Amino acid sequence: MAAEVYYQAIGTLQSHSYLDNFNHHQKHKSNLVRLVTRDFISGNGLSRRSSSSVQRNCAVIQSLAFQTSVVDPVLSPSRSNAGDNYKKSNEAALILIRHGESLWNEKNLFTGCVDVPLSKKGIDEAIEAGKRISSIPVDVIFTSALIRAQMTAMLAMTQHRHGKVPIILHNESERARSWSQVFSEDTTKQSIPVIAAWQLNERMYGELQGLNKQETADRYGKEQVHEWRRSYDIPPPNGESLEMCAQRAVAYFRDEIEPQLLAGKNVMISAHGNSLRSIIMYLDKLTSQEVISLELSTGIPMLYIFKEGRFIRRGSPIGPSEAGVYAYTRRLALYKQKLDDMFQ
Amino acid sequence: MMAATFKCPPTTGLHGWGIDASTPRSSRNFVRFYSMRFACNTRYDKLHHVHASISHASFVDPTSLSVSHESSIESTLILIRHGESLWNEKNLFTGCCDVPLTKRGVEEAIEAGKRITYIPVDMIFTSALIRAQMTAMLAMTQHHQKKVPIIIHNESEEATTWTQVYSDKTTKQSIPVITAWELNERMYGELQGLNKQETAERYGHEKVHEWRRSFDIPPPKGESLEMCSKRAVAYFKDFIEPQLKSGKHVMVAAHGNSLRSIIMYLERLTSQEVTSLELSTGIPLLYIYKEGKFMNRGSPVGPTEAGVYAYTQSLSVYRQQLDEMSPCE
Repeated sequence: MAAEVYYQAIGTLQSHSYLDNFNHHQKHKSNLVRLVTRDFISGNGLSRRSSSSVQRNCAVIQSLAFQTSVVDPVLSPSRSNAGDNYKKSNEAALILIRHGESLWNEKNLFTGCVDVPLSKKGIDEAIEAGKRISSIPVDVIFTSALIRAQMTAMLAMTQHRHGKVPIILHNESERARSWSQVFSEDTTKQSIPVIAAWQLNERMYGELQGLNKQETADRYGKEQVHEWRRSYDIPPPNGESLEMCAQRAVAYFRDEIEPQLLAGKNVMISAHGNSLRSIIMYLDKLTSQEVISLELSTGIPMLYIFKEGRFIRRGSPIGPSEAGVYAYTRRLALYKQKLDDMFQ
Repeated sequence: MMAATFKCPPTTGLHGWGIDASTPRSSRNFVRFYSMRFACNTRYDKLHHVHASISHASFVDPTSLSVSHESSIESTLILIRHGESLWNEKNLFTGCCDVPLTKRGVEEAIEAGKRITYIPVDMIFTSALIRAQMTAMLAMTQHHQKKVPIIIHNESEEATTWTQVYSDKTTKQSIPVITAWELNERMYGELQGLNKQETAERYGHEKVHEWRRSFDIPPPKGESLEMCSKRAVAYFKDFIEPQLKSGKHVMVAAHGNSLRSIIMYLERLTSQEVTSLELSTGIPLLYIYKEGKFMNRGSPVGPTEAGVYAYTQSLSVYRQQLDEMSPCE
């Protein structure tokens, strides 16, 4: 089941090796699909599979090896096939980052889904967040469709030590798909796919979007506004309640993100207060009472370890110099060690 | 490298910069009129080398002169080419692959923002690629004006509804940002993601040079500069120029080839001239649009350079008003 979901359309990274004759024969127009499994890291070379989804012209996630040539293959668990999801040593890191201050936060306006960029402070917060996770592996990034979350992810990744390059996948049209194609395997191996999804957007605030918080309180009364902001299931006029936001955010997480973790990919999600709260509600099995009083700091990454189908909260990485941070799991400690050795 | 001819605006002679003691003063709308003398330079390989010097000063009737209400409509056009991307750093052909900025590219964007901090911006156009969008958003964090850029979403009915703003006041303080694939970098086809050195070794330096620098020869499955120009200039004419015509001040954040194409149109360059045109990254270029004509004003040096604001009467008034608005800054 997870294997099916794995092939589902969530993004496209089509790569076509110019040199590789084998690929050349398998090419269907421009839709060559390649599945790189974790076998790659045990040094067996690429194992390739084209799935039936190629005919559907569906997007397929090309999974990238968690570790490249840096890693001792003996230490990485080997997987026989993508469907084998519950191997004991299967472990993946999940980083959640809430974007920092936006220009409307600064002006105290309700933002919701209005696509407002970061302020100078928000930019600094993103870079700081990046420093904190600079030694935690990232194989795939999910962001919302809003620029403030995308910028946060891209700015954070400029601080990352492993030197891989995030590439935003484009699926909005045939042209977008074919124009953004990468034609080098090497380059693809050094890439981190970035998938933008509206389902990870901030909660839509309806008719409050763009209004000044003070004005709105004056107009509707503080209590009504407080109710809209902090209740679980009462939406502002023409907007979403937290419950509605949670529905689409958690569904997306389960359908598109969790399979990646199951396959051992390390994932980073850069999103918003309410979409992340919703996801945390799912990860930590919170009640609706508990989630409405949950506050996420901006720009402070949250780390979870996904292991054997469970999410273990590991708090917030203090920073790259904090040795304790990497002792979460043996794997992470080794990863950090390899990075240190690489950059010595 | 071939030098392109550069059309010089008529010079107006040199005059001092100072208040004429005999001119009466009114409070907000006291206006000085300066025009600029261009140092015409026929070498066109770097656009940001153009120097401007202050010239003319004469008193003009100060009544009701503000940026958008002049009888002869004048608007500014800022072109910014994004800075270093992560694949530039690795020397890979990027084209339309959506690769973000490096730390250096981020700094270049902020620097560019400082240079245009006092130039009015009513609308922003960017490509569909994150490196141009980030450049625009980073640059605008430096803008004096404090208006908020908002990216317009039109990809679906839902996107449009979800991004709606419900306050007039807020809308007035907003700068719409429109993203358009037509402003994307030239699509490099089968070279996208390839290492430049490797590609030269495989196809030969000459072939690669031909793809990169000819006007009408595309790389395999890619666009030639001519093809890129077609869609970029068509977009400019259909969507950006009408804004300028109506007096809106526009900023375009895009890429080397899409901007070259637009400049080819603005400056009426030949295909020979455009292929040798190099645009610096992160250095904004300023044009004044007036009476259907585009005047190259070079590159704003920075907010402290008084000469920058002497481009046109309306720009200098704008600057004056900004100064009077915020005496504490």
